Amino acid sequence: MNVNKSMKTSALAGAALLALQALPASADQEFLLTVTRPGQLQVIDMATNEVARTCDVPGKFGTGSIAPSPDGKIAYVLSNMTEDVYGFDIQTCEITFHAAQSQGNIRVKTHQSLAVSTDGKELYTVQNPVRHLSDRFEVMQPQLAVYNTADGTDARPVRTFPVDRRITKIAATEKGEVILGGADIKAIDVKTGDVRMVTALQSWDRGPQWLPPDAFAMHSQGEQSNEYIMPYVTAEFQDETMNMETAKWWWGISRVDLETGEAVRQEIIPFEFIIFNFISDPRDPNIFYGSFNTLSKHDITTGETLALYEMPHTYYDLNITADGKTIYVGGTSSDISIHSSDTLEKIGSIQLSGDMSTSDLRVATIRD
Amino acid sequence: MQNKKRMPLARTALALAVLAAPALAAEPDGETIIRNNCLACHSETGDAEAPFSRISEQRKTPEGWLMTINRMQELRGAQISTEDKRALVQYLADNQGLAPQESESYRYLLEQDTNLVETGVEEGLGQMCARCHSAARFSLQRRTEDEWKRLVEFHMGQFPTIELHSLARDRAWYEIASNETAVELGQKFPLITPEWNSWKAAPKADLTGRWRVLGYVPGKGEFTAWMNASKSETGYQLQLEGQYTDGTQLAGRGTARVYTGYEWRASIEIDGVKMRQVMAANDEGSAMEGRMFSTEAREIGGELMAVRDRGEAEVVAVMPSHLRLGESAELTIVGQHLDGDVSLGEGVEIEKVIERDGDSIRVLAKASGSAGARTVSVGDASRDQALAVYDSLARVEVSPANALSRIGGNGGEMAKMRTVYRAVGYAAGADGEAGTDDDLRLGYMPATWSIAPADEVAAHDKDEKYAGMIDAAGIFTPGDAGPNPERKMSANNVGRLKVVASVSDGGSEVSGEGSLLVAPQDFVRRVLD
Repeated sequence: MNVNKSMKTSALAGAALLALQALPASADQEFLLTVTRPGQLQVIDMATNEVARTCDVPGKFGTGSIAPSPDGKIAYVLSNMTEDVYGFDIQTCEITFHAAQSQGNIRVKTHQSLAVSTDGKELYTVQNPVRHLSDRFEVMQPQLAVYNTADGTDARPVRTFPVDRRITKIAATEKGEVILGGADIKAIDVKTGDVRMVTALQSWDRGPQWLPPDAFAMHSQGEQSNEYIMPYVTAEFQDETMNMETAKWWWGISRVDLETGEAVRQEIIPFEFIIFNFISDPRDPNIFYGSFNTLSKHDITTGETLALYEMPHTYYDLNITADGKTIYVGGTSSDISIHSSDTLEKIGSIQLSGDMSTSDLRVATIRD
Repeated sequence: MQNKKRMPLARTALALAVLAAPALAAEPDGETIIRNNCLACHSETGDAEAPFSRISEQRKTPEGWLMTINRMQELRGAQISTEDKRALVQYLADNQGLAPQESESYRYLLEQDTNLVETGVEEGLGQMCARCHSAARFSLQRRTEDEWKRLVEFHMGQFPTIELHSLARDRAWYEIASNETAVELGQKFPLITPEWNSWKAAPKADLTGRWRVLGYVPGKGEFTAWMNASKSETGYQLQLEGQYTDGTQLAGRGTARVYTGYEWRASIEIDGVKMRQVMAANDEGSAMEGRMFSTEAREIGGELMAVRDRGEAEVVAVMPSHLRLGESAELTIVGQHLDGDVSLGEGVEIEKVIERDGDSIRVLAKASGSAGARTVSVGDASRDQALAVYDSLARVEVSPANALSRIGGNGGEMAKMRTVYRAVGYAAGADGEAGTDDDLRLGYMPATWSIAPADEVAAHDKDEKYAGMIDAAGIFTPGDAGPNPERKMSANNVGRLKVVASVSDGGSEVSGEGSLLVAPQDFVRRVLD
């Protein structure tokens, strides 16, 4: 796995630095968003790699899940132990939206699931309610809750529809659906509540030669390519005896095109090390990057690892500039590591005031 | 301290004199405590068999009930005085406890001896429950099926991400837990059992009296002692006096409670160190077995047994419990009311009686003949398999074979969690082959201790350098908590090690090894893991 050793040349790193400093082609402003402990939304100007502003998030830290509005101006943040959603104007830190999901004796938790409709008018969460009776809990049916983003700081759901359990990351498509990432990938029509299967994962029927996958997404992956990525791990057995020892282990993905709502599922690279999050290159859908203890670059048409960079500590997630040139690797600790997407060489870093732990690393683009 | 301990005795005497009432009626009635403290949330059902919602549909160990009440205080806002809480644990464990047969396979958890890999756990329960906590944790509870289902609801409400963990998100976890696991638990561990019905009706032994005690304190060694248990308002007052095998004296005082008629729980301060005793008494109340450990550091402890003085001669143990053929060695027969001729079994010659009294007999002995276990007798009293006569040490078992230690200290919130090791020797037995069923257990043997990396990866990461060290007494102390800049990715001082015991026997060294995982801190200190 020493693919990248020969590529660590100062010339390449220097070129990447120059590229970073060059003027952007358009005047679109990209902001990197993350949440740090104890509860700050960090708005980072991706042109200068400086923290533009830090907004205090009310409530106890949740998981740092973030959904930017399509116009890039509002960031919705899950807080208060994953019960409340706050909407922030990222240019002023003003709180424009607040939904306290728990009401009365019903406590509602949201496992990461936040998404904004493509017109910015609706916010979607998946709610996992539990009724707290005096001497017992009662687990209730999870539901998709639809909020009007214009409803301000005491927003209540305008519609709800039952959904599966175990849904984590969700995303809105241009077709008026919300992609529900759980054991299987499904899509729900936000007007009717009709649910359709997008990609069968837990319930896939691939015969005894394939281990049912372990699929899990905690972070949004793929927004710069307008796609939703759900990674999974599976084993390909040599025969029907399902021998784990001789099986070939794979990383796979279901990637949903957020324009059409159509998905492709495929095994992309051999499982050789842990990758917590994948993103694709906005310029080339076959080039993938992954982060965890390493930052890695892969060609998914060949399954080849093109470059590998050993990180100094664990970084859960990553994101990329719209031009595909610069990768931001973050989460876990308090620094965001900046890398050239060509070589994966480190070209910079941003120190934050607290740990990101499980927080998202999203890009909000305010268009010219 | 001593004044405080005398007070209850004086009060008991007073109560007896004045009221001539039952001596142990000092604590408030359990049902009254429940009515006064628990009904803000729980309700009275009107059913005399199960008067309180939820509470009456469960049976647990004393520790199990303590955990429940702790949770009610910490998470549900229950207000209860220390006195009422103690009395309530007593009441619930006595009236809704576990029969001895129901707890006997899981005593390690109650004894806080968690350095073992649980075996025989059904795969489904292993994946659904024992992936987060011990299997003993739920196996030491009895509930109705509905109550097991409510426990699933509790898990979902209290730990909302439980269904997203590895080994949960790949299945319909909540549905399986409610519809299958809870049903299985209701069948396997139901509220009502013949064992409990019969134990509840059985007369319970009074454990007052004088006990011959054998135990082990890490760093100090094995000891023998006498422990006096006299009645107090809530249990027993204890006095302990004895000596370690090196002749050092030990003395302690404390108190004990007995729950459910057989669960002995004592707090005893021995030479300034606070210790806990967790033992189970047998049905007749003539013997108890369990573990004694440091109150501060539960991992620092050892086996403990107590045999009651019933005025009869009894051989309790021989220390050490092994004698090599052809060698002269000192042995001590430990017992009570020892009187009469001493025999160490066939072919074992007593060369000299060094000293003897009713409690112990120290002899110089030499064995001949064949290897094997010997019956030891003094007068009419005897104990089978009390002494192992052996030809040569064939293998050494490191105990615990699998252990978990945790880094700590270094200014952090959690203390280091150490591991206490002992070496157990075996002779090969009649087949001459070590590691077979007929191996002869020789007992604990003194060993030289060392650590080594578990494998190539551990060696590459220098786990043996960073993860901790083991001392001459077999106590492993893990490394400091926190990131270590010297290590790859500034990893903390975790590691995977082999712990090696080397025992000298007849001029040669025999060694055995155990597996030790040095893990990060566990920031939750539970009553039961």
